[in-house]
Amino acid sequence: MTKFSVQPTKSSPRIEFDPKSGVLEIRGESYPENCSTFYGPMFDWLNRYFTEADAKRVELNMEMIYFNSSTSKTFMDLFDMLDDHAGRGKAIEVNWRYHEDNETAQECGEEFMEDVQNVRFNLVEITG
Amino acid sequence: MTPKMYDCYESLMGDGIILYFNGPVSQGVVEGVADLMRQRLRNEEAGMKLSHRIFAILVEQMQNIVRYSKEREPVDVDGESIANGQVIVGREDDGRYFVACGNRIAAADGDRLSEKLNRVSSMNKEELKRYYKDCRRRGPDPDSKGAGLGFIEMARKAEGPLDYHIRPVDGETAFFSMKVVA
Repeated sequence: MTKFSVQPTKSSPRIEFDPKSGVLEIRGESYPENCSTFYGPMFDWLNRYFTEADAKRVELNMEMIYFNSSTSKTFMDLFDMLDDHAGRGKAIEVNWRYHEDNETAQECGEEFMEDVQNVRFNLVEITG
Repeated sequence: MTPKMYDCYESLMGDGIILYFNGPVSQGVVEGVADLMRQRLRNEEAGMKLSHRIFAILVEQMQNIVRYSKEREPVDVDGESIANGQVIVGREDDGRYFVACGNRIAAADGDRLSEKLNRVSSMNKEELKRYYKDCRRRGPDPDSKGAGLGFIEMARKAEGPLDYHIRPVDGETAFFSMKVVA
């Protein structure tokens, strides 16, 4: 499988998924015009990654400055999907990174964490 | 019309209005206006949390225009169109910021919209959090073009209830306006 890579725009994040290392990254802002259109290819890639590549472990690093309510739904779908795989024995870790000044990003991370069961969900504060 | 422009300017300034926009709202306009306000709030040292709330309310409001405004201008032959709407950002006498948006809606959608807004307006912050999480899991209503979370998100970020008004324009359409104080 090849890497999945999307360049950031004003309203959409940088996405970098590396099938070799199992490290996935989503960083930036997210309020695209249409979340299904923007994130659709990412979900397709992940589904193939779990079936074709038989991924054993995934580390998802997320660092969001702002995301809209449609994106929040999309992220919940993403965490539900990962939670499902984690429930079936895959080692899945989510690092929800937020800047110490960004209280909103911290609260959003806490609310996602409350809604997953099997994934190891870590809140990581960035200082400086 | 030029003589009237000063009157319009003076009246808007008197109402504490920072930004007034009326016209086609594309995704590019959403990004531009949101960016402009973010910069402005940074300069006014509004504080990160408040800036974030205002930014979030502004994006949700403007994307509602993009998705739901019934007044649309065709842009190409494929039937793509740009929504028309009104966006106002300003400050109350007590200094609090507000974001107000207006657009035409189908008259038939008025009741459904009122019901949704009254429901979220009746909830306290804890109830809103639970409702937000329930809806996020359950997925949107069939009539929704997004995640169906916009009003709940705004109510969570707002100080006090969401203030809205629906005014019939003709048999087919009504004008929907909403003001959210951050």
